[in-house]
Amino acid sequence: MNNIDAVQTLSEAKRAPLARIQDRLADWLPKLVLTPTLLVVLVCMYGYILWTGLLSLTNSRLLPVWNFIGTGQYDRLFDNDRWLVALNNLVLFGGLFILVCLALGVFLAILLDQKIRQEGALRTIYLYPMAISFIVTGTAWKWLLNPSLGLEKLVHSWGFDSFSFDWLVDPDRVVFCLVIAAVWQSSGFVMAMFLAGLRGVDQEMVKAAQLDGASMPTIYRRIILPSLKPVFFSAFVILAHIAIKSFDLVAALTGGGPGYSSDLPANFMYTHAFTRAQMGLGAASAMVMLGGVLAILVPYLYSELRGKRNA
Amino acid sequence: MAALTIDNVQKRYGQTEVLKGIDIAIDKGEFLILVGPSGCGKSTLMNSIAGLEEVSDGRILIGDQDVTRASPKDRDIAMVFQSYALYPNMTVRQNIAFGLEIRKVPKAEREAEVKRVAQMLQIEHLLERKPSQLSGGQRQRVAMGRALARRPRLYLFDEPLSNLDAKLRVEMRTEIKKLHQRLGTTIVYVTHDQIEAMTLADRIAVMRDGELLQLATPQEIYDNPANQFVAGFMGSPAMNFIPCQLAQGDTGIGVQLEDGNGQPVWLPLPDGGAGLQQAQLGKTVTLGLRPEMITEPQPHKAGQPLVREVAIRVDVTEPTGADTMVLTELSGVEVNCRVNPRYPLATGQLASLMFDMSKAVLFDPITEARLDN
Ligand SMILES: Nc1ncnc2c1ncn2[C@@H]1O[C@H](COP(=O)(O)OP(=O)(O)OP(=O)(O)O)[C@@H](O)[C@H]1O
Ligand SMILES: [Mg+2]
Repeated sequence: MNNIDAVQTLSEAKRAPLARIQDRLADWLPKLVLTPTLLVVLVCMYGYILWTGLLSLTNSRLLPVWNFIGTGQYDRLFDNDRWLVALNNLVLFGGLFILVCLALGVFLAILLDQKIRQEGALRTIYLYPMAISFIVTGTAWKWLLNPSLGLEKLVHSWGFDSFSFDWLVDPDRVVFCLVIAAVWQSSGFVMAMFLAGLRGVDQEMVKAAQLDGASMPTIYRRIILPSLKPVFFSAFVILAHIAIKSFDLVAALTGGGPGYSSDLPANFMYTHAFTRAQMGLGAASAMVMLGGVLAILVPYLYSELRGKRNA
Repeated sequence: MAALTIDNVQKRYGQTEVLKGIDIAIDKGEFLILVGPSGCGKSTLMNSIAGLEEVSDGRILIGDQDVTRASPKDRDIAMVFQSYALYPNMTVRQNIAFGLEIRKVPKAEREAEVKRVAQMLQIEHLLERKPSQLSGGQRQRVAMGRALARRPRLYLFDEPLSNLDAKLRVEMRTEIKKLHQRLGTTIVYVTHDQIEAMTLADRIAVMRDGELLQLATPQEIYDNPANQFVAGFMGSPAMNFIPCQLAQGDTGIGVQLEDGNGQPVWLPLPDGGAGLQQAQLGKTVTLGLRPEMITEPQPHKAGQPLVREVAIRVDVTEPTGADTMVLTELSGVEVNCRVNPRYPLATGQLASLMFDMSKAVLFDPITEARLDN
């Protein structure tokens, strides 16, 4: 032990000063490289979150003014009928979107898991919508769902004149149009997540269950799907945050209309902060959305990190 | 009547033949062990018995019922897998009771059964835990518990102990043996571990490349292997295979080889070389002799007709405590001898060892088939 130490000190003393500078540099390099990104993240993400938080406490309109009025903007926000419609839409849209996506994704994944031919091709087809931006999805579905251009016209042209499908222009139903388009885009991704999970399932476990006398549906229901709980959880978190930040889909598909009946909070925030000169109100709505996202993310991160430490 | 009959079972995946016509019949209460090198089709055979894979040809009977085309749940078989294959989302209790629940056994009966099995395997204190909270040995017990709970007609074990550490493996081995003796169940068991095979089995089936080479009691397999592969596969250290010539001696046909001095020595064969013909004299054969048959000279055996002393050169000694393994070279191949540690040996020197030929076997060097019976 002592001998080794002695040898080490000796060799260190012999090293040229240049080598020592290189050692220093090697120590510092990771920090140097990481600093710019760290700064950018600190300023642009957390800095602006703070900035928005402060703005939401002022009565800024077109431009930021540092005139603090306490929680006045939040009171105004929750008196605002348009905000309440947006929140209501979010609950309806988000709830349906997540549920349908999960159900459809699981269903497709189970079908694809049956060792069918051409699985690779099918998987790609289901996944492709994910590669398209919501703007394109929104525009495409705007045409498909438009009564005078899309589905309704097509069925009429087949001779079924009584067919009517006008959800896009029906203020009570327009949210479902958002759900349809968003599900079309995201369920393939959910399917891929579940397919990966299903592929990880121990085949011997399935065999054991078969010997126990269980049928395949029972095996999926009682054993395989329950053991995919973490996948459900991850899919839920991803879908939830897609739902909360959905902005482009609404902008492209309905433009918030008819009237403001299909607004989501993100659209409300954008409209008020940037086009209607209500920056304080917009900032307040942004903070409420942040709260919503955190309410979902924090438990998720907590469980993830705790799981890692235990594993 | 046999508890399980495997009648000319074949299995093909496309062009590759994985099972090439296996015939096995085992009696009620028998413990059959399948051994063979990796990829020889042991798991495939087990899965075919369980109905998890369809056989391409042949029949499988449980009792006198033909189950070749029956689904796994109708065969009344339980299987323990190498990975244990416990249901991760269920507690130990639910794992054990699952098969009963699926078969609509009333709740009270189910609970009684779980209790019985848990008591037998000493896992009562683990019943409320999830599999992820168990150690390897505990998981193994639960997997056995799950199999025992239904009291099926046949148990299949596919390398159930291979994921355990050495000590636990020995313990579980003993427990499985006790369990088998107590319950009198019919078991087919796959293992890579020779000691497991020798200690547990009523009969051992040695397989290679989808073929059954020999099906016999452990002692029979050990003493009287059907061919050189079986002889080399069972036993550790493995049987010595020494090239030599058939030669006539004073007591009949024997074998001739060179000792450590390069001098020719003649060794007798059991029964004067019964089964061999004069016409074969001079032919090169492979002599199979287990290491424990080459020992230090033992006075009480000295006069026996099948015992000879041969001078060998000691190349390496490996003391194991109970015995010292001596490595030497005879006829150009390495030979293992099992010698009493007190017998004086010096590396590089000659030593006189006793060759007991009473269990010697002969193989054809090309076909590896037995020559002497
Ligand atoms: N689905 C399959 N398609 C083609 N070949 C297969 C398939 N499943 C197994 N095999 C082949 O069948 C042979 C026997 O496999 P099996 O799993 O029965 O071996 P094993 O004796 O259990 O080996 P191990 O001791 O390693 O468990 C192997 O050569 C394997 O490559
Ligand atoms: Mg196997």
